[in-house]
Amino acid sequence: MSQDALPSPLTVPPGWWARMDSWLERAGERLNPILVKEARQALKSRQFVITLGLLLVCVLGWSLLGVAILMPGIYYAATGPFMLTGYAIILTVPMLLIVPFSAYRSLAGEREDGTYELLSITTLSSRQIVTGKLGSAVLQMLVYYSALSPCIAFTYLLRGIDIITLGLILFYTFIASVLLSSVGLLVATLSRARHVQILLSVALLLGLAFLTLMWCIWTAVLISEARGGIDFEDAGLWLVQAAILTGCGSYLVLFVLAAAAQLSFASDNRSTKLRIVMLGQQVLFTGWMSYFWSVDHWEEFILSLLGYSAVHWLVMGSLLTGEWSVLSPRVKRQLPQSTLGRAFLTWFNPGSGTGYVFAVVNLGVVTLLGCGMAVVAANVGRWPVDAGQVALVGTLLCAYVAVYLGVGRLIALWLRRFLNFGLLLPLVIHLFLLALGIAVPSFLQAWLFGFAGFEDYSALQAPNWAWTLVEAIDGTLQFDPTVPILIVSSAAVVFLVNLVVTAREIEQEREAVPERVRLDELQQHPERAVTKKRPASPFEE
Amino acid sequence: MKTTAVPAAIEFHRLHRYFGGTKAVCDVSFDVPRGEVFGYIGPNGAGKTTSMRILATLDLPTYGDALVDGFSVVNDPDRVRHRLGFMPDYFGTYPNVNCSEYLDFFARAYGLTGRQRHQALQRTMSFTGLDRLADKAIRGLSKGMKQRLCLGRAMIHDPSVLVLDEPAAGLDPRARIELRELIRRLAAEGKAILVSSHILTELAEMCDRVGIIEQGRLLAIGTVAEIQKGQTQASEVRVRVLGGGAGLQDWLTQRGDVREVSVAGELVRFTHDGGRDAQADFLKQMVLAGFRIAEFATHEKSLEDVFMQVTQGAVQ
Repeated sequence: MSQDALPSPLTVPPGWWARMDSWLERAGERLNPILVKEARQALKSRQFVITLGLLLVCVLGWSLLGVAILMPGIYYAATGPFMLTGYAIILTVPMLLIVPFSAYRSLAGEREDGTYELLSITTLSSRQIVTGKLGSAVLQMLVYYSALSPCIAFTYLLRGIDIITLGLILFYTFIASVLLSSVGLLVATLSRARHVQILLSVALLLGLAFLTLMWCIWTAVLISEARGGIDFEDAGLWLVQAAILTGCGSYLVLFVLAAAAQLSFASDNRSTKLRIVMLGQQVLFTGWMSYFWSVDHWEEFILSLLGYSAVHWLVMGSLLTGEWSVLSPRVKRQLPQSTLGRAFLTWFNPGSGTGYVFAVVNLGVVTLLGCGMAVVAANVGRWPVDAGQVALVGTLLCAYVAVYLGVGRLIALWLRRFLNFGLLLPLVIHLFLLALGIAVPSFLQAWLFGFAGFEDYSALQAPNWAWTLVEAIDGTLQFDPTVPILIVSSAAVVFLVNLVVTAREIEQEREAVPERVRLDELQQHPERAVTKKRPASPFEE
Repeated sequence: MKTTAVPAAIEFHRLHRYFGGTKAVCDVSFDVPRGEVFGYIGPNGAGKTTSMRILATLDLPTYGDALVDGFSVVNDPDRVRHRLGFMPDYFGTYPNVNCSEYLDFFARAYGLTGRQRHQALQRTMSFTGLDRLADKAIRGLSKGMKQRLCLGRAMIHDPSVLVLDEPAAGLDPRARIELRELIRRLAAEGKAILVSSHILTELAEMCDRVGIIEQGRLLAIGTVAEIQKGQTQASEVRVRVLGGGAGLQDWLTQRGDVREVSVAGELVRFTHDGGRDAQADFLKQMVLAGFRIAEFATHEKSLEDVFMQVTQGAVQ
């Protein structure tokens, strides 16, 4: 037999298993490298082995203890809920406490050990790094679930718990764990300073412990309520689930993109994608609230929409106004050029000024929408809505956000002359301002009029957003326009001042792509060499 | 026909990096063409690591720019990362991972897939001599082997530029020689290599050119010979005179081009200002003056001599 006739050692023998192996090999190539590395590393780590071991010991212990407690009723009574409560609590601890904290430590540890630097100079994008870490956390969750699955099946066989409740508990625990893991990853990117990291890790650990406790209580209550029977035929119940899920999904995307933006290189555009997600969240929430309002006609839905939107844009605006106002040449290569593009898309560009305008204008639009909904409902006369009250509360919320964000932004801009800081300090400044807004007028009123006159609302309380909003919701402010006019005028002044300061950010123009970059791009993607004959939309040049 | 000039593999353009009031790097400019090993020399805190980190896209310059293959490290770090391999002065290894898993991870991280990745792994492990240690846990490796692993990590994606920060630190003489050979082979493949080291004899043997940096400023740049020429042309001369050197000492002290004369029996040492031609004339004059010269030797300045002459030993 000649050498040529010998089969190559690399030739895969035909067969089902070989095809499967080959398919798995190809699928493995597409996996995130971080996920592959973390899976290899984490499954061999002491932390994982101890956690899984403890989980199994606790599950076994609870199985024996529970059965002993339930004896002899376990043979004839529906004892599934009792056993499930124990298993759900045992599962919650690793899912909501250990996995999210491990995700945090996984990224923070890499940054401390210097391995993150080696990772960051590879061709992996920062988003791939974050999603890889998150994928590794999900893998751990799946291992815990699979370890607990026989016990869950056991509780179902014991009767007393329906499959939908069981599924919902496990599903929401999983969703909560994924969401908290993304928060853990975001926290790990917030600061590289050792002392700040220690503070953040303590805060995260305490927060996770608190949430774990709350989740255990919520699970126990849900299992107990489920015994009474939940109407799963009700379409409204599933619509609420859909609303919750889309909300969780939007926050997951936001946290992942925010963490990726924090890890991205300095000249990259860290903001535009986040602003799109923030806007998407607002649209999503507005859509759901409008739908529920159209079905149930509760005035509270409009006020909730306005309240949530104000908090949303205040928090997001606090982060956006902390951005640098200088655009890198790399970002300038992508700036919109057409009149329409410059008018509407400029606000998606990075920068504290564009961030401020973006937040305030979006809240303004939602306020107009809420007022519009209230006016329509009032004119139709079928639904009980006080359009004047909705308009007042909406306008005040929008004005307060414009004032506090604007003042906070100006302070942050001034501080940036002397200090180099990230997103945490502007957030702290805004929180401090909000606290001052309540404390200073309250103190002044108590000092001037004594505690006896403290209970009466006065114009002195105009900066006190909490008290003023309570008065507006109670309907007492509608009879005296002084305070609303004062607040709206202040908002207009602060907005204009900020707009003037923002002028330099808006005036930025597109820069040409360097010839070397253009040639390299063409070399990598020859298909993009096709010249566009005309713009695809009015937003393009 | 339009021709495009090929950019140098590494370019520093007026690079500055300040940390508060400390000028870690101050107005540094130089190029490194393909296939060249460039030695970056300076005392501790001179700014070597800072400028290397900027080149590796790990830090940003306060002013100026650095280019890799024509791409800015500030504006196009993603393109730079495809073309650059960086070996820092620390290991940066993961626990619970063996050598092949470690390199496999970085190969995946650089976007290598399938056959391409397997070939890159084989090539790198064979090049660095790690093929027999593929399944060995990283924590069990010696320092020399870890250095090889880190070099392997830096070159796994076959970059055109390698930046090596103190690659020979802590290595035994054999490992140093092997590392030097590896670096020379990489340069022979056309890669531009920027390497820093405190072991100047190592650098002198492996580098085509060197740059001397102190307090963030580039003080001298060129081949060792060029830098020597850039300094004073004085050289240390040793002469053995039969019958004793006392007479020669008197003769030498009357000359303007001779300094620092010392005599020990027949052996006379002094510093002579002048190049090789001047030294030949000088020897001829000594012989004509009647001195019985049995030995005449000049001492070429080493990289260490040049380094000591150029730098002040100042720290910031």
